[in-house]
Amino acid sequence: MRRIVTVVGARPQFVKAAALSRAFAAWNVGCGLAGFRERIVHTGQHYDENMSKVFFDELEIPRPVVNLEIGSGRHGEQTAAMLVGIEEVLLAEEPDCVLVYGDTNSTLAGALVAAKLGIPVAHVEAGLRSYNRRMPEEINRVLTDRVSSLLFCPTSGAVQCLEKEGIRRGVHRVGDVMYDSVLHNARLSAGSSRVVATLGLGSKAFCLGTVHRQENTDDIDRLRSIFSAFGRMDLPVVIPVHPRTRKVLLGEGGVSDNVHLIEPVGYLDMLMLVKHSRLVLTDSGGLQKEAYWLGVPCITLREETEWVELVDCGANQLVGASTEAILAAVGRVERGEVGVDHRRAPGLYGDGRSAERIVKILAGEEGRGVCSDADC
Amino acid sequence: MQRIICICGARPNFMKIAPLMAAFSKADGIEAMLVHTGQHYDTKMSELFFEDLGIPKPNINLEVGSASHAVQTAEIMRHFEPVVLDFKPHWVVVVGDVNSTIACALVASKLGVKVAHVEAGLRSFDRDMPEEINRVLTDSISDLLLVSEPSGLKHLKAEGVADEKVHFVGNVMIDTLMKNRERAAQSKILDELGLSPKEFATVTLHRPSNVDSVESLSSILDAFEKITADMRVVFPMHPRTRKNIEALGLAGRLDSMPRLLTPQPLGYLDFLKLMSESALVLTDSGGIQEETTILGVPCLTLRENTERPVTITEGTNQLVQPNADSILSAYAKVRSEGPCEGHRPELWDGHAAERIVEVFLAQA
Repeated sequence: MRRIVTVVGARPQFVKAAALSRAFAAWNVGCGLAGFRERIVHTGQHYDENMSKVFFDELEIPRPVVNLEIGSGRHGEQTAAMLVGIEEVLLAEEPDCVLVYGDTNSTLAGALVAAKLGIPVAHVEAGLRSYNRRMPEEINRVLTDRVSSLLFCPTSGAVQCLEKEGIRRGVHRVGDVMYDSVLHNARLSAGSSRVVATLGLGSKAFCLGTVHRQENTDDIDRLRSIFSAFGRMDLPVVIPVHPRTRKVLLGEGGVSDNVHLIEPVGYLDMLMLVKHSRLVLTDSGGLQKEAYWLGVPCITLREETEWVELVDCGANQLVGASTEAILAAVGRVERGEVGVDHRRAPGLYGDGRSAERIVKILAGEEGRGVCSDADC
Repeated sequence: MQRIICICGARPNFMKIAPLMAAFSKADGIEAMLVHTGQHYDTKMSELFFEDLGIPKPNINLEVGSASHAVQTAEIMRHFEPVVLDFKPHWVVVVGDVNSTIACALVASKLGVKVAHVEAGLRSFDRDMPEEINRVLTDSISDLLLVSEPSGLKHLKAEGVADEKVHFVGNVMIDTLMKNRERAAQSKILDELGLSPKEFATVTLHRPSNVDSVESLSSILDAFEKITADMRVVFPMHPRTRKNIEALGLAGRLDSMPRLLTPQPLGYLDFLKLMSESALVLTDSGGIQEETTILGVPCLTLRENTERPVTITEGTNQLVQPNADSILSAYAKVRSEGPCEGHRPELWDGHAAERIVEVFLAQA
């Protein structure tokens, strides 16, 4: 039996972890004692009321066995608390492998503790680089990759980024687990989500916006500039917003009439909002991809992105925070000059069976890395 | 004015930080503060060294103390973050490869403060060593990488580090050695221990792989027993090693070797004198591999690998498997071949700290 401890802390990570958990369960059927036993540790980095029982049940996510309840805080403080809590769990569980996702402080903490304890680390969504060291996420992913024995890359671009850093052992291109999740959950949410109707909007008659990166929310000029663009758009813009950002915006004198600030929504509702929007404007990494998979053009409110392939194939435009640049990009979408065409980059993120591929590799060669390129 | 915080936490750091702090204090346009994380809190490991080396008292001591890797790293991070927020440095300078190194580098980088790593680029490629993890991670988030030997340049290039961040500056530990050679010569340690120059061996051991298991420690002690038939062996004992010897039931063996002396850890000057007058040194320490090369004393490094290959290719160092047969065979060879030549590695000339300061001044 292979014992896995999965460390997660932020909502997007739960959704990806769920895809792996489903794949472990499928693998375990008929395996007897040779299967996987997975324990999920939630650091509590994001405390989210939407993480209720209903959310877990709806998305079929296994409940974490431990919630460290670390909560928010300064990077150093938060990471420090996670190091201590995770070490306790790993000493008690003695897993064969620690699985971490993405680029949060939880990711880094899990990887660092495991590495010092001599437990192999497997990093899902390895090799992504924005090359912007001012982003805490970039620091987290660079460090995690350095101590990982298995690096599961979503794209060949990610494999190349690792190659440039001299990392070749244990690197596997498996496709994007998030795509697995979107395929699985879009089906679920079509049945259950009422969010679009509740907002009183028609399909494709609104735009979806999210702003949550430090570089935007903590910089009042950038925030103003972004929301100024939103206010000048023709279509309504729906913005699920963090209470902290809402407070700042209201302090700035509110938002234009066509901009609808709403409470943060659950994962399934978010998928529905993306699917029915005309256009997504965001600084989130995950949303850039979800928009692509759901066929919706994306405008990225940053100067760089880890998902460069989406820019190269015309599905995504990188515009930063400038009001004029944002509006110019919106214009290009409206005129049909750019859009989403999956034929331009077939199999870019795999085929929706990345989780299955990861489990096979874990079953075959945990901790011993062999460079391979699994074709998707 | 560039505000710089220098970090030290463990004994190996002190010899490196001393010349840096001295050079920074002489530089116009630099205001340097010393933070001691308190990772090593033992007086014998800490205060003694500060006095000997004339290091200014740290501005702040975080007093973190000993703990598991995760807890110690966490405590250092937790206590260091407010210091950075308060002092608002332009740079945090870390040295070496201990938990204080990565903990403070990580805190700084997340706060947008630039990180400089002194002794960057060294690689043993042994991921079982916590030091290797610490140094690899620190390098990957450093903005300035100050390298002590050519192998460091090669490794950083292979890891994709941009050339403009990397500077080959030499070895600050050797700055300290050269500055203190004459003072060390005055030490009375040989008399105190009843030793004659070049007629004894010096040993230090502290690596878990050597001192945590009864098999490896016994085998090493077997070798020492044979060596003491030939010459006296001085083995100043790291607290961890002493604890282990008791715990593993090996204290009796030490008692049965009257020509094996086991003093408490020595101060810097006494130890420097001891090394320089040794016929040979046996060790698993990083810094001692470097110091013996400069002193021209044969060094047997009881490890499978080293991150300081220049001491082997240019210096007086060799790797020896940590078991009795290998040790004794290497010992016999050293005894029969006599004193060795060894060249002084490039830039190990006592001016590394000055070069580092020049690099900083050029950044402003």
